[in-house]
Amino acid sequence: MSDPITLSMRSSHLFVASALFAALLFALVAWTLGDRFYLRLATEALLFSGLSLSVGILFGYTGLLPLGQALFFGFGAYASALALRHNPSFWAAIFVVFIATLALGIACWLIAGRMRGVYFALVSFGLAEIVSKAVYNIRWLGASDGLRGIPIVDIPLGFLSISTDAPLAFFLFALVFVGFLYSVSAYVLDTPLGRGLMAMKSNERRMRFLGYPVFAARLVAYVLAAEIAALAGALYPMLRGFVSPDLMYFSVSTEAIIGVVLGGATMLAGPLYGAVILTVLRSIIASLTQYHLLVTGLIFMIAVIFLPRGIIGIAQRSGGGGLD
Amino acid sequence: MQETSDYLQFVLAPQMFTGLTMGVAVVLAALGLTIIFGLLDVINMAHGAFYAVGAYLALALERVGFGYIVLLPLVVLVMAAFGYLLQYGLIQHVLTRGRDRHVTTLMLTLGLAMVIEDANRAIFGVETLRPANPIPGSAAIFGMVLPNYRLFLISAGILIVAAVMVVIYRTRFGAMVRAAAFDRQMAASLGVPVKRIYGLTFALGVALTGLAGALLAPVYSIFPTMGHDFLVMAFIVVIVGGLGSVTGAVAAGFLLTQVQALASLVVSPVWGSPIILAVMVFVLIMRPGGLFGRLGHV
Repeated sequence: MSDPITLSMRSSHLFVASALFAALLFALVAWTLGDRFYLRLATEALLFSGLSLSVGILFGYTGLLPLGQALFFGFGAYASALALRHNPSFWAAIFVVFIATLALGIACWLIAGRMRGVYFALVSFGLAEIVSKAVYNIRWLGASDGLRGIPIVDIPLGFLSISTDAPLAFFLFALVFVGFLYSVSAYVLDTPLGRGLMAMKSNERRMRFLGYPVFAARLVAYVLAAEIAALAGALYPMLRGFVSPDLMYFSVSTEAIIGVVLGGATMLAGPLYGAVILTVLRSIIASLTQYHLLVTGLIFMIAVIFLPRGIIGIAQRSGGGGLD
Repeated sequence: MQETSDYLQFVLAPQMFTGLTMGVAVVLAALGLTIIFGLLDVINMAHGAFYAVGAYLALALERVGFGYIVLLPLVVLVMAAFGYLLQYGLIQHVLTRGRDRHVTTLMLTLGLAMVIEDANRAIFGVETLRPANPIPGSAAIFGMVLPNYRLFLISAGILIVAAVMVVIYRTRFGAMVRAAAFDRQMAASLGVPVKRIYGLTFALGVALTGLAGALLAPVYSIFPTMGHDFLVMAFIVVIVGGLGSVTGAVAAGFLLTQVQALASLVVSPVWGSPIILAVMVFVLIMRPGGLFGRLGHV
């Protein structure tokens, strides 16, 4: 029963649980110090770690590297912003994002789904470029300025209600939200589907001959990844009060990939770690030098060459298992 | 009738001429990209950064006092050396990593692009720079007034593209490149120095892009992120033409820049790149491998 995939999933849960603990500790410290700024920054890092998780699912389980996954993050942010402006209700916005992303995910899959390897990467890149350029030029989407003045909403959770304006409460909510996204992905990828995807990654042709529904399985993985990115993005306008085309830009997609590589794609927890580490690193580097891209790029290159399994890969015991 | 010929002469033809200027530069960059992919299987994400380096290098050499005609070959030489060293010292190390090497090299060059871009910013500053036009004045051809420098750019560019095609298809070096692209093990066992060919090919690709940057600098301006849009364009050209195809890069390069230039007569120019990207997606759906076959496989 303890095959490598199960072991990998379990150690991933362990990593996430310790990250959750660290985040709660951070929230406690921030709350005692009466901080606002770092809580907001940490919330943003959480949302972008959702994007990294999405890239990690695709890269780790299907071997497809999406160079334009920010498309879905930005799409979720815009859909949520439009929905909130129309009707300031949190769950309605989340529902709208979910349905719209389902449609967009399937549409993009019909274009990118037949591609493999670098072709997939480049088509994903192209799709994100098209959409971000279009958004940049469409006036009713705010063109280059983006959409401003997104209303502050209350998130009704049954027994309590959280305002998106309260830094601590919203941070904790985002933590639970990203934790939920992680749990859903982990659940889906732990079913036979996840194993089917792993098998396809190592030999797609054989799986085809075995009668495995290759196209459908990849579609599910792709749409799942799209939903994760979009739902994480849906919280962005609630946090910042605006959205702009920058959210779909290549630099955002790149950072998600750097997060995945730093953290390690062999385990689902890796991208979450990577994204958070990248945010911390970047704010440290930015305080030391204005050329933070140079340093980040160097770190990225070093990670690509010397850490094929990411930071999680170092922390992993040899018996801990991982996906390769 | 008069109206039609006026339209042809004063609207259509100058627009096609502008497209041709861009086309020459895009083809130069796309050639580099496609040769590197065709031989090394490397999607060079740093290609746009090399383009910017070429432009900055030309500017720096101009300020030191080199004349324009001396400066262009110098840019080519320096960029080629730069490319050779990068391939030999960096990319070669991850090329041996089996199945994942596509993605690994893509990510490695992505990091390289970030480093180079910020290095450009550190050395030359963030301002937009504009080098002096080396060949001022203009000539009248068929009643159109065309700037001399653009005429030079187009003729030089076409000569270079032709020279590259001769090198790839008509020389001993080109035969070795095509052989290694087709089957590296077999080529190596027949005595082709594959590693050196790899380095030289990468150097050739980088030099071509750098040259495109140096040639276009007096027309467009120089700024640290100048490579971004250019890289996108070069990628689209290479994908439409067929990854790793030399003929494809040339054909698609001239075709797509014409489409872009002519589309701006009908719709706002800001929609030029979405249109081109849509063409790319369409071509990929119809012919996932692009329009032409891969280097060494024809």
